[in-house]
Amino acid sequence: MHRTIVNVILLVGLLFSLLVLASGMSAWRLPDNQQGYSPEQPIAYSHRLHAGELGIDCQFCHTAASHGRHAGIPSSDVCMKCHKFVTSSFDVLQEEIALADKEKRKPKTIVSDELRKLYDTLGLNDPQQLIEEGAASSVPWVRVHNLPDYVSFDHRAHIAAGVTCQKCHGPVESMERMRQYESLSMGWCVNCHREATADGVNGRAVHASTDCAVCHY
Amino acid sequence: MSQIFRQSDSPNSADRDGTPLAEDVDPHGSEPLAISRRRFLEAAGFTFTMTALNGCSRTPVETALPFAAQPEGMIPGRSLAYASTCAGCPAGCGLLASVRDGRPLKMEGLPGHPLSRGGLCAVGQALPLGLYDSHRLQHPLRVGKPVSWDEVDQAMPSLLKAVNDKGGAVRFVTSTITSPTLQATIDAFLEQFEYARHITFDAASCSAILDAHEQTHGDRVLPRYQLDQADVIVSCGADFLGTWISPVEFTTAWRSRRVPTVEQPEMSYHVQLEGRLSLTGSNADRRLRLSPEEYGVVLSRLFVLLGERAGEVTAGDGPQSLPIAEEELAALADRLWAARGRSVVLSDSQDVSVQVLVNGINHRLGNYGSTLDIVHPSRQRQGNDREVLALVDELKAGKVAALFVVGTDLTHNLPDRETLIEAIGKVGLVVSFSERLDDVTSVAQFACPDHHPLESWLDAEPVDGIVSLSQPLLAPLGETRSILESLARWSGRNESAYDILRAHWEQKILPRAETRPFVDFWDRAVHDGFVEVAPTAKPVGEFRSDSVKLITHEETNELSLTLYSKVGLPDSRHAHNPWLQELPDPITKVTWDNYVCVSPALAEEQGLSEGDVVRIALVEGNVELELPVVLQPGQHDRMLAIALGYGVKGTDRFAHIGPQWLEARPTVAPGELVGKNAAPFIKPSEGTLRYVRGDVTLTRTDRQRELASTQEHHRLEVPPNVAPYGAELREPIQTTSLPAFAADPGSGAPEVHGDLDVQLWPEDHPKTGHWWGMAIDLNACTGCSACVIACQSENNVPVVGKDEVRRQREMHWIRLDRYYVGEGDDVDVLHQPMMCQHCDNAPCETVCPVLATAHSEEGLNEQAYNRCVGTRYCANNCPYKVRRFNWFEYPHKDPLQNLALNPDVTVRSRGVMEKCSMCVQRIEEGKIEAKRLGEPLGDGQVQTACQQSCPAQAIVFGDMNDPSSAISVALENPRRYGVLEEFNFRPSVSYLRVVRNREEQDEKLMHDGENGDENDGENGGGHV
Repeated sequence: MHRTIVNVILLVGLLFSLLVLASGMSAWRLPDNQQGYSPEQPIAYSHRLHAGELGIDCQFCHTAASHGRHAGIPSSDVCMKCHKFVTSSFDVLQEEIALADKEKRKPKTIVSDELRKLYDTLGLNDPQQLIEEGAASSVPWVRVHNLPDYVSFDHRAHIAAGVTCQKCHGPVESMERMRQYESLSMGWCVNCHREATADGVNGRAVHASTDCAVCHY
Repeated sequence: MSQIFRQSDSPNSADRDGTPLAEDVDPHGSEPLAISRRRFLEAAGFTFTMTALNGCSRTPVETALPFAAQPEGMIPGRSLAYASTCAGCPAGCGLLASVRDGRPLKMEGLPGHPLSRGGLCAVGQALPLGLYDSHRLQHPLRVGKPVSWDEVDQAMPSLLKAVNDKGGAVRFVTSTITSPTLQATIDAFLEQFEYARHITFDAASCSAILDAHEQTHGDRVLPRYQLDQADVIVSCGADFLGTWISPVEFTTAWRSRRVPTVEQPEMSYHVQLEGRLSLTGSNADRRLRLSPEEYGVVLSRLFVLLGERAGEVTAGDGPQSLPIAEEELAALADRLWAARGRSVVLSDSQDVSVQVLVNGINHRLGNYGSTLDIVHPSRQRQGNDREVLALVDELKAGKVAALFVVGTDLTHNLPDRETLIEAIGKVGLVVSFSERLDDVTSVAQFACPDHHPLESWLDAEPVDGIVSLSQPLLAPLGETRSILESLARWSGRNESAYDILRAHWEQKILPRAETRPFVDFWDRAVHDGFVEVAPTAKPVGEFRSDSVKLITHEETNELSLTLYSKVGLPDSRHAHNPWLQELPDPITKVTWDNYVCVSPALAEEQGLSEGDVVRIALVEGNVELELPVVLQPGQHDRMLAIALGYGVKGTDRFAHIGPQWLEARPTVAPGELVGKNAAPFIKPSEGTLRYVRGDVTLTRTDRQRELASTQEHHRLEVPPNVAPYGAELREPIQTTSLPAFAADPGSGAPEVHGDLDVQLWPEDHPKTGHWWGMAIDLNACTGCSACVIACQSENNVPVVGKDEVRRQREMHWIRLDRYYVGEGDDVDVLHQPMMCQHCDNAPCETVCPVLATAHSEEGLNEQAYNRCVGTRYCANNCPYKVRRFNWFEYPHKDPLQNLALNPDVTVRSRGVMEKCSMCVQRIEEGKIEAKRLGEPLGDGQVQTACQQSCPAQAIVFGDMNDPSSAISVALENPRRYGVLEEFNFRPSVSYLRVVRNREEQDEKLMHDGENGDENDGENGGGHV
């Protein structure tokens, strides 16, 4: 009896450790594979809210994607196009307006904690103030997609060929915090190039070269 | 760790290149280190596991900083091109600077510029490295101590007033200033003084030409030479393709008459009479060896001969004896006379009487007004040696109260340096605007560093009527200030350089232009980089025929010394640029040094061999210099030649440039500088600074100095026994003569035996899209090496230092092969740019065990660095020897210079092979941009770096599948051939045969010499 219990306990323990090992292994990656990388950002910017809920086009902010090599992280003045006025979430602002209406006063400017960080980098006390040169600094975003130095990737070519952003970046519109969706490994790139040449991109015939020097120079 | 590395104590030991020994053995044979085998394995296992685990971790967190507010028109990662003016020398070539993310990266020629016509020389290409140099002065100094500009501005007025009140002499020394605004600002500044003078000093002076025109035409002007109008060019020592006055302008003009076509088999006739073998001489149709001391008599005789043909009487007798054959000169006179009005005679002599003769000859030939323009003169050299010498006397006599020095290293470029420094040290007020701590700046009360030319607003009018603008390409890196601003501030005006420039243009340049209003004119000028306005032509006096005096006899010395400028280093100002220091001289192929060139005959007589250190000294006086010898075929037997511009203060900074490994030897020996300064040999005589002098002695020392020469590296020599069956080995450079070319455009081609179309492998590279190819016209190429620096700048090619060059490890992707043809001292010189030929049957591709080098579907031979494991099989198998191996990491010694790296090109790491990629980053950029715009990629939209800046437009690049492209046209040229084509490598780079404008007879002689020379066909002609 005693032995059986010990055996059962041992068996359960073994299974449990195997389970832990298996689940751990599934998270193992090859060196430099950053798939799933989702670092905390200095400002908790939500792609889900902006790209998903509000439906803002990707290239509204990442303007350089169709014109340059890098899609580019939007400069802070792009944020200020809206956030000069939208200083907090819609509900909070509405509440304040309603409250101010009731109390017959001007609504106060309510600034959310995250947006306060943005205004701080720009050296603004009041969001509607003009940005002063010298006072403004960059937001130190943490880079998510980072290719090795010996690879050249050009956004222009892919957008011109009709590749959607989601093809490589995944369902960004549903990501609360940005994460690397694909492995961005060479095999992944080459597979897509082969498939694109064979099947076309969104019904359009393309020639996606698999020469070394297309990416490596 | 140091105890497990051991330096070899026997030369045969296997660890010569510093490989760590496997075992730790004490050299004295005592006990091994006390560590058990078990312990060792444990430690090794732990280390291995930790390393492996480490590899699985996330790469370090990297931040990405966007702009707070993005400047308009700026797209991160895209280059913007700005038109500007090159300030490498006063020639004022057009510059097209590409600026990437706020950093100027690549300097290119400005297409359409009336002088440089899209070309740019090596010095212009190397400007970014001069900009990103942390050794430039970062802030003003007062007596050597950093101060603020406010302090300088507060102190200056009272000091200036004190000088003026005492009636002190103010001397403002500059190098040639072509900027009208700067000239006006200096004039305005000097107006506040009673006794002030602006003195122009050129390190490579052409003062005699200006003085001669003062004598013959009554006006001190430098003619604008229009070589594109000249059918016959006779140059007496002037290295106009290399360093003389405006080399890029002259190269483009010279080139325009040097390429015969089947329809028009015509080209100019270029004769070079010179002592040392210059770049220009190496490209001449006819080159006559003549000591620079003999120019006068030869030109006198030529003057007399032309007088006979003109029916004019020449006063006085001509010279009795000539150093060259009379028939030769008579034939030359006939050629010149037949081409009167379409010929030009040039000389670099600093003897005014020789230059007067040159003017006389050009006048007799009616060249003024056609090939020489003195109505719209050049302003590229304005130095007045007479005034400089007067200044030196004044300084030594202590008569100068205030000295301002701009843009020139005064003491370095004049003889008698120590006395001069001492004299300058005693001047009451010395203000230097130098960007470095040179001699004058060190003793100056005020060092007021000017911006780097890429940081500031300025203009230039190198030739009357062509005004160009320089615009800042980035905010100043240091606390420097434009000289315009400094001078204006001290003249009591508080204006920015931009305002001063704009105001001057509105007042002085606009009236000469037609465009109105000013805003349009200005915007146009900023956009184009230059404007052509009405010249300020003033009437020039009639030629005074009585001014020409024949030189019947010149004193020739047993040994004469010529001081010259090197193509890569025309001025000591660029001595701090490692790219230029490592650029092999086009003729001697030596890097990182200056040396004494002697002819092989003189060397034999003196028992000298290459690298022997000799002492050159003045017969009288205590000037002496010890330098290694370089044997230079083609040089006059009675002369020595030493390059100026070396031995510059502060160049000991390069002592440890390049990889510092176990056996590394320093580039600069302790206590020394890069090269030696030869300026003490400059001889002031009759109001000019002479670069040629007699009264020197040469003594052997028993020392040797190994020069870093690339001459023998990367030879194309093919052993005769590997010649393919049925095909003969052919010369890498094929030549023909103009008459032969006129008779048969395909002349010069070797006979073809056997079938070159035999293919061992099936055609597996279909190349259905683009097929990139290149053609290099060897008849246009002068060997100026601008392409080498263009490639270095574009492709992040590292500088390796002198010691690594000695070990044949230079990294240049494109090299200029120089061949001597013929025996004896009258050699013919051929230049050939050589880079990866992107062979269709590439020998390198078949031997790579890891497929790191492969063929692309566009015909490129690709090199994937991240795949390369560094076996170096490919380099061994490359018949053109164009592959370069990274023996080390080559970080910049000065981290600021990392800013000059092109982000589009991988910085290669240790252990990988690299080579010319045909600027694949530019090809990809061009293709992608065309794709974005939805347009086909047009011919000429992608230009390689070497092609873009070639002053001779010798390189054509494009799509060989496009029948209308320039490359396809070039390939149809009957002069086309491929190097080592007989091996069926099918190179994508073609060459166009050299055509020399000389008689068949000469040609035959040349070929006889060629066949008789066993060593011919080697790179660098090792037979010297």
